Amino acid sequence: MMLLPCPWCGPRNATEFRYGGATGARPDPVSATPQQWREYLYTQTNPLGWSREGWYHRAGCRRYITVERHTGTNEVRSALDTATEDG
Amino acid sequence: MSDTHGTAPGPLARGALEPRVAATRSGWVVDARRSVADLVLSDESPLAKVLVKGPVTGAPGSVLGTSSGRAARTEVGGGTALVVGSGPGEWLVVGPVGTAAATVAAIERTVSGRPEFVSLIDLTHGRALMRLTGSRAPSVLAKVCAVDVEDAVVPNGGAFRSSVATVVTDVVRDDRDGTPSFLLHCERSTGQFLSEALLDAGEEYGIETTTLVGLVPEG
Ligand SMILES: [Zn+2]
Repeated sequence: MMLLPCPWCGPRNATEFRYGGATGARPDPVSATPQQWREYLYTQTNPLGWSREGWYHRAGCRRYITVERHTGTNEVRSALDTATEDG
Repeated sequence: MSDTHGTAPGPLARGALEPRVAATRSGWVVDARRSVADLVLSDESPLAKVLVKGPVTGAPGSVLGTSSGRAARTEVGGGTALVVGSGPGEWLVVGPVGTAAATVAAIERTVSGRPEFVSLIDLTHGRALMRLTGSRAPSVLAKVCAVDVEDAVVPNGGAFRSSVATVVTDVVRDDRDGTPSFLLHCERSTGQFLSEALLDAGEEYGIETTTLVGLVPEG
């Protein structure tokens, strides 16, 4: 079982969350080319190591959280509310 | 309520548990049979349920006086209600049977004039509510919920939302005379499933179904 430390609810089973994928800088919608949008939407780096990703706590507080997780060990070094950046 | 055996106009609503002895009350089919078992499950779906949403810190919290993760009784509109801080910026107000409209109106009056946006929805017929009471109630929940509900983690008046028997459920600890008691609130379409899962988990402790308890013990 993988635990995620929700800043609102405390440690919870990862099955309570929906994985939102790695988060990164969003291209400017005015100037971005279709190729840049495609890479932003569909191309993931899929690292073995630290990853910054979004999770939605659907069975708990129903907030979006941003988590720094090591994809090899599932160690979490930070978990913040995405909207307020509070932990 | 006075219409325990009366008939209400309109369709009859059914709760999450099959009544052993059916009676009607304010348009709901309820169980008239009272169990004296040590561990009981009652369908509380007829109670008024109102969802209040607003800023995490703001009018609803200061008016209702309850923060996320806590539950307390407050006078609201139609009488004594249990106000549950069910999430960040989200409150579930549980009131006596038939008081939903009065509760919505009363909260509307107290938050009107405030600058922030507050929404109020009567969830009564959209959600199922049940109550699990008994010294073994924490043991029953331990089988179907990953959150530890023992005193040190969830004391009386504590509330949280999590998965209970795979159903997203608001759990509110609301003890009766020192006996552990939990209100469980979920989407109405999953209410019967959740009640059957709880009856199955409680079978080894001799669980029985009983009549509606309400917010205050009724004679
Ligand atoms: Zn949460």
